[in-house]
Amino acid sequence: VRGSLGLYFPQSEYSESIYVGQQQGTPVLQIHSMLETPAEKPYFSLCWKNPQRPPAYASWFHMDETSGILLMNKTLEWSDFSSLYTSSTVSLKKLALKVTASSMPVKRTMCNLQRKVEVSLTFINATAPPCGQVKPEKLCFPDKDSNPHIRENRMPGALRQLRRFTRMNVCPNYTISYGVKADSPVPFAVDGSTSELVVTAPVDREEKEVYQLLIVCTIQTEEMVDTLFNPLHVNIYDEDDNPPYLNGTDTEEVIIEFNRSEGTICGSLSVYDRDTTPVYPSDQSQNKFVGTLLNNDSWIKTTFTIEPKFREEKAVFGNVRGTVHDYKLKLIQNVSVTETRSFQLDYLVNDTTFPGPEGTVLLHFNVTILPVPIRFTNITFVFGLSRKSTTYAQIGKVCVDNCLMFKGIDVEYQLEIADKNISSDAQSCYTAVSISQSQNEMSGVLYVNDTEALLRAECQELQYVVTAQEQQHQLQTRTQLLIIFQGEADPMSGEEQKVLACAERRQQGDCESSRGLGAPTGRCQWRQGSDKGISEKYSTCSPDLRTCPDGYCDAIESKDISICPQDCTSHPIIGGHERGLFGIKAGYGTCYCFVEKCFCEKDETEEPFLCNDTCKTVIAAG
Amino acid sequence: SRDERVKGPGRGCLLKEIHLNVTDLGLGYSTKEELLFRYCSGPCYDSETNYDKILNNLTHNKKLDKDTPSRTCCRPIAFDDDISFLDDSLEYHTLKKHSAKKCACV
Repeated sequence: VRGSLGLYFPQSEYSESIYVGQQQGTPVLQIHSMLETPAEKPYFSLCWKNPQRPPAYASWFHMDETSGILLMNKTLEWSDFSSLYTSSTVSLKKLALKVTASSMPVKRTMCNLQRKVEVSLTFINATAPPCGQVKPEKLCFPDKDSNPHIRENRMPGALRQLRRFTRMNVCPNYTISYGVKADSPVPFAVDGSTSELVVTAPVDREEKEVYQLLIVCTIQTEEMVDTLFNPLHVNIYDEDDNPPYLNGTDTEEVIIEFNRSEGTICGSLSVYDRDTTPVYPSDQSQNKFVGTLLNNDSWIKTTFTIEPKFREEKAVFGNVRGTVHDYKLKLIQNVSVTETRSFQLDYLVNDTTFPGPEGTVLLHFNVTILPVPIRFTNITFVFGLSRKSTTYAQIGKVCVDNCLMFKGIDVEYQLEIADKNISSDAQSCYTAVSISQSQNEMSGVLYVNDTEALLRAECQELQYVVTAQEQQHQLQTRTQLLIIFQGEADPMSGEEQKVLACAERRQQGDCESSRGLGAPTGRCQWRQGSDKGISEKYSTCSPDLRTCPDGYCDAIESKDISICPQDCTSHPIIGGHERGLFGIKAGYGTCYCFVEKCFCEKDETEEPFLCNDTCKTVIAAG
Repeated sequence: SRDERVKGPGRGCLLKEIHLNVTDLGLGYSTKEELLFRYCSGPCYDSETNYDKILNNLTHNKKLDKDTPSRTCCRPIAFDDDISFLDDSLEYHTLKKHSAKKCACV
């Protein structure tokens, strides 16, 4: 059974002007109500906000119960205008009326419960202009037009009176007739005897949403024929008359492996419906879908959910608006690494307002959960690093198999001395290296912790065991790690207790000859920026150009602000720049930092020629 | 208040203003926006103390070798409100402490 909506108004408001001298018994305008069944018959009546105390002008008008024509109940006089109370003294006054239509006569006192349409009459403090002063378009068409609408799948019938009753009387010698023009055949016509615009057949919104008509008005007098055109758009309102359907598959294969974190979307299926779904008002139920998870398993219910979302689409429905419902399978808790299962998850989608048995669609997600082994593929990690490297220099990364793809799996890394039976002197070498947890991937970052050990010859080859431990089940795995420090040690590193930050250096020569925190080669590195404006590739001095400045404050850099303030500063930056969440996203010229305070500026002068000791000797000798 | 300022020490140190394009600031922003830039300028001799006189004498007599310590100068002691502008690539930037509001010999 189709949802019975009964009578409805194809227009939300009516307006017209009335003048002094308007005769009793003359029509003002005509209200229309569309029908649901041929047996229905609308009864029109005027309705007041407070039916017990209607406004003074209520008695001026009469509503013809069967035709919907509003008539004057008295001839309007000058005194009528002045009798209306309004604060302003303008020569126009608005009279608001409400009209109801129902399938049986309604008591006036009960009319507020009925569907109503607003009628706005403008009372002009003048007599109607004579025929010769009225423009033809004013005779034919309303001053202010609103587009009518009709519902799809409904009875044909009249929807609008095209004649302007109040103006016709001014020119009694004119014959005015109307017609409909359109590019292609349309189910609209004009009833010649009543001048009503009529819909001649039920319409389908899924075929056409808007009918663009041209109303033709012909004014005929003894001397001339005048033809005028006015566009009119008739909107077609939707109802739920299409069942949901699938476009291809009803089954999605889902494999859950490395990404097991809460909130992960692991599969998606779409259901289509040619009907529109209103989003406002939100309590409206038209074409709203209700979904039900059919599995009873409590683990499945606490681990998975279906996230429904709908959107309007036009292209997939042949350029007529329709609805696409997306059903996304989402994890609502982390899945443990040991979990291994496969099952079918069934989801029933019900288009609740669709009349008929085929309003449901069944969706299937074939879910396979694979276990994730926590292990190192059987190799020994070997890293080499210069003995000149400074504290916080990054050595490399260790990672259990596939750790870069892990989400929702927590792994922690630890370093141990491989051979515990060595002398305490030899053991002190092992303070040279530390491991830190990378924040955005499940890897461990190795870095130089203590440079004093690097000076000692016996500390050049360090053998560690790396332990990786999965946090939920305490699953452990270990592997060998060999770190070799190569080359000569920097004799300076022992004496110079405090290593400055590379970021303080403003010039290439000064930068490249300095030691700084976090430098794997022991020397700071210079990045020469492009010269144009504020650039992400600004000139700067950094301990390691692979990690700083890369716009990301990593696990090691966040240990000490002096390592890479360019990526990590949270203080204001002076000069032309663009901020990132932390640090400098883009800067002008050269960016340098003292502790946390960073400056970006263009070096106007060329880099001064640095006269070092060799140079001085040459000059002295010359 | 103007009279008061003139009477007090550092009366030569005044707030001045100039109408500029944001590009004139040389900070690298490309934009067509403009601003009113206020700055402090003027002599500060009348607010000098014995300390300044001694330093002046020592510098003059080359007693301080290479060092030339700073002397009293006319500087902002308060800054204007922040300004924001849209650049040519439709991004917003905000300048803080870019323009003087009050000056003094410090």
